[in-house]
Amino acid sequence: MKKIIIGVSAAVLWLVCVILFVVSAMGGTTSEHQFTVLTVKEDAVKDYNTMPVFQALAEETGIEVKWIYNTSTQYANNTDPVGIKGIDAIYHSGFSNLKLYDYGRRGRIVAIDQYLDSMPNFSRILKSRPDIAEALKSPDGHIYSLPRVEEMGLKAYPNILYLNKKWVNKLIADNNLPDGVTLTSEQLIDGLDISRNQFKALLQKFNDLDMDGDGSTSNEVPLAFVSGNWQGNESDLIASFGVPENREHKTVLNGKITFTIENEKWFEAVKELADWYQRGLIRSSSFTQSDNDFLARGQDGRYGAFYWWEKDTVLAQENRDDYIIVLPLKDDDGNRYVGVSNEQEVEKGACVILDSCEDKEGLLSYFDKFFEPEYSAQLNYGSIKSGAFLPDKVNGKLIPNDDHGVQSADDFRMKNAPYGVVYLTQEVWDNSVEMESRAKLRLENLEQYVKPYSFVGVTSIPNLNYTQEELITLNTYESSLANNIASWFTGSITGGSIPTRESWQNFLETNRNSIDMVIRINQIAYDRYMAAIQ
Amino acid sequence: MASEALATAPVDEVNTQLVEEAYEMLDGPVGPKPRSKWEDWKTNFRRRGWILLFILPAFIYVLIFCYVPMYGILVAFQDYMPGDKIIGSETTWVGWQNFNTFFSNPNFWDYFLNTFLLCIFGFIVGFPLPIIVALLLNSVRSKKAKKGLQILYYAPHFISLVVLVGMLKLIFGSDGLLDQLSIKMGGDVNGLKLFLSPEAFRPLFIFSGNWQDFGWSAIVYLAALSGVDPALHEAAKVDGASRFRRIFSVDLPAILPTIVMLMILSVGNLMSCGYEKVLLMQTSGNLETSEILSTYVYTFGLVGGQYGVGTAAGLFNSVINVALLIIANFTSKKLTNNSMW
Repeated sequence: MKKIIIGVSAAVLWLVCVILFVVSAMGGTTSEHQFTVLTVKEDAVKDYNTMPVFQALAEETGIEVKWIYNTSTQYANNTDPVGIKGIDAIYHSGFSNLKLYDYGRRGRIVAIDQYLDSMPNFSRILKSRPDIAEALKSPDGHIYSLPRVEEMGLKAYPNILYLNKKWVNKLIADNNLPDGVTLTSEQLIDGLDISRNQFKALLQKFNDLDMDGDGSTSNEVPLAFVSGNWQGNESDLIASFGVPENREHKTVLNGKITFTIENEKWFEAVKELADWYQRGLIRSSSFTQSDNDFLARGQDGRYGAFYWWEKDTVLAQENRDDYIIVLPLKDDDGNRYVGVSNEQEVEKGACVILDSCEDKEGLLSYFDKFFEPEYSAQLNYGSIKSGAFLPDKVNGKLIPNDDHGVQSADDFRMKNAPYGVVYLTQEVWDNSVEMESRAKLRLENLEQYVKPYSFVGVTSIPNLNYTQEELITLNTYESSLANNIASWFTGSITGGSIPTRESWQNFLETNRNSIDMVIRINQIAYDRYMAAIQ
Repeated sequence: MASEALATAPVDEVNTQLVEEAYEMLDGPVGPKPRSKWEDWKTNFRRRGWILLFILPAFIYVLIFCYVPMYGILVAFQDYMPGDKIIGSETTWVGWQNFNTFFSNPNFWDYFLNTFLLCIFGFIVGFPLPIIVALLLNSVRSKKAKKGLQILYYAPHFISLVVLVGMLKLIFGSDGLLDQLSIKMGGDVNGLKLFLSPEAFRPLFIFSGNWQDFGWSAIVYLAALSGVDPALHEAAKVDGASRFRRIFSVDLPAILPTIVMLMILSVGNLMSCGYEKVLLMQTSGNLETSEILSTYVYTFGLVGGQYGVGTAAGLFNSVINVALLIIANFTSKKLTNNSMW
């Protein structure tokens, strides 16, 4: 009896296995209009296959896309993602200029410009915006990826200077303000007008005194930033000396590509920063910490002042009111300056189509829908149905929903928004989608406290197109030059002594060849770009 | 002649062997005819050839994982990206262009020097240390103490690199233990900033590496020491040698071949320090000494997608390693009569 039971159950088990296998194998066969797209996402982000925005897209286009995933670590470890079998496209490919071109000229990814007939939205964008068209081109003139365009005018100014009002108030109350600084509590509001020397004197007090009242004078950080980071770096402190600094030390000045490191004022700034460092106003952690370290250390309000994108991410809720925005620091002549970053709002590589895709027109017509304002907005912030926007439009515009219950706005967006291919420009903000309140606030702050002080004649370096030969030369010189600059810059500030003019000139001399080469190639590419967009 | 005839005769196997061995004994000056080396080898192979099977797995392993992938160095002469065929009709051969790109890097000599200095200092500190430790451990009288110390010494070997560098940063980094101490004791407000200074990079790298590995590397020497005949020690004792004297006159000569062999091997690896730990320890402040060839290969070749240039740099590194290996082997053959080949 026992044996029979065992036998029967084994047979049943075997049968179940076979059925499961057959079913799963059948699930693998695709219908005519189904595509498989690999996307890079973290586990915390919701499944794209169940996101309402993609369901709406499938309904409208009649095209079904099955999303499969790699986490960013898995993806980074795959040296040849384009070689993955059974996928038609890679979303969030993150390919660099060079990679796009390398894959493109081998014919392994599709030159999208050949399929513009099935992409009405994208071709309209390319026609109306020659700068975007130019930015997307590879050295051979083809466009190998779909872009991400998110124009808010925020990225050009990635630093705002915040000051700890609570600490200054304490100095005022203790009658302890440094000489030459006259401030009253009423003056401590956003847009504080203060010179660099006054700021330095304040920081010195922050360093010398026990500002947070815990009995120790050593755990206050007078001024914090993340050196060389894309946001919250020291560039605008250096710019206050009158040099259009950004983290790449490279900018466009009256149509000419310029290295700031060659500017006398840049050297003055480095000398002054070295002095600040020796006085303890800047800490070595500002040169070694990652942005996560920076954010973690700032939560409890231990920074006297800091540079960052906005203050909310740096500070815990209860400390946010203690910090105010400081206008760009005044130099000795009473002038204020801020640099312009080279971060671009048009990004390549948001999506690539593989050559193995059997119906390229079909898939591209699907992705073309992503450029429509309503879809772009949902891809960027989360679906309407999931509560990222209010259900009803106001004056024809989608209104973002700021209330996500216990979830923070960041968390909600991280889980619900796939990001990637979007097209959000001023025209869209004006007519179809209301900007989220945080972005609006930052924009207002920039308009009021930062942008008016930009250098005249300084613009950022756009996404340039290089020929293959230029790319090879740039590759040879640019990365080692960047290394050398970072090394001299950090070494001079944290080296324990004020750098001498001789050391600066030696540094420039050693790198003369690289500097000239990088400027020359960038200038050629820049002139070509300017000619193309006119 | 007679043995051959016997071998082919249909006799019982055991008998054959006995007879053969008898003939072998007769071989030499009194034998019928001196046998050739080849014949010797043949007999030997027939009789004990199956033992060769034991090296088969190792042979296959080396073949598959060391020799077969070597065709990949062709990438150094190609315009290559993953997915391309290394040998095929569409392969783009570019000659020495990748090497040109690599050598014309303005920082090439700095990277080369950094690699060399990091590795040579590492070798100078790291090579004798395990030998000294093994000799000392071997002289410990209490078996228990010896075992305990040994475990204590090699335990750090099992800490992963990321964790090790994390520990280093907690102790020596900005706001780390050492910095806090120095600030408390009235030092500079910024602490010692060891992770920012180019001078501190090499000592930190080398000493942390040796701290992690000296116990583990000592195991090989301890094994060699355990093979020393106790009679030698007793004889030395009888001759009145002190404990210290015995280390130099008995232990050291006994492990000398092992030392020489390991030295040749490490000289052959002199230019290849792994890039992982260097990358983890790199900051903008210590780039001056911490950018080495292998980190360049990683950042430029792998991350930057310049596979050809990366491979060219790697190949260049390997060529130097092989040259060093040959020189070391030759020198050791001349000086100590020990060599790998």
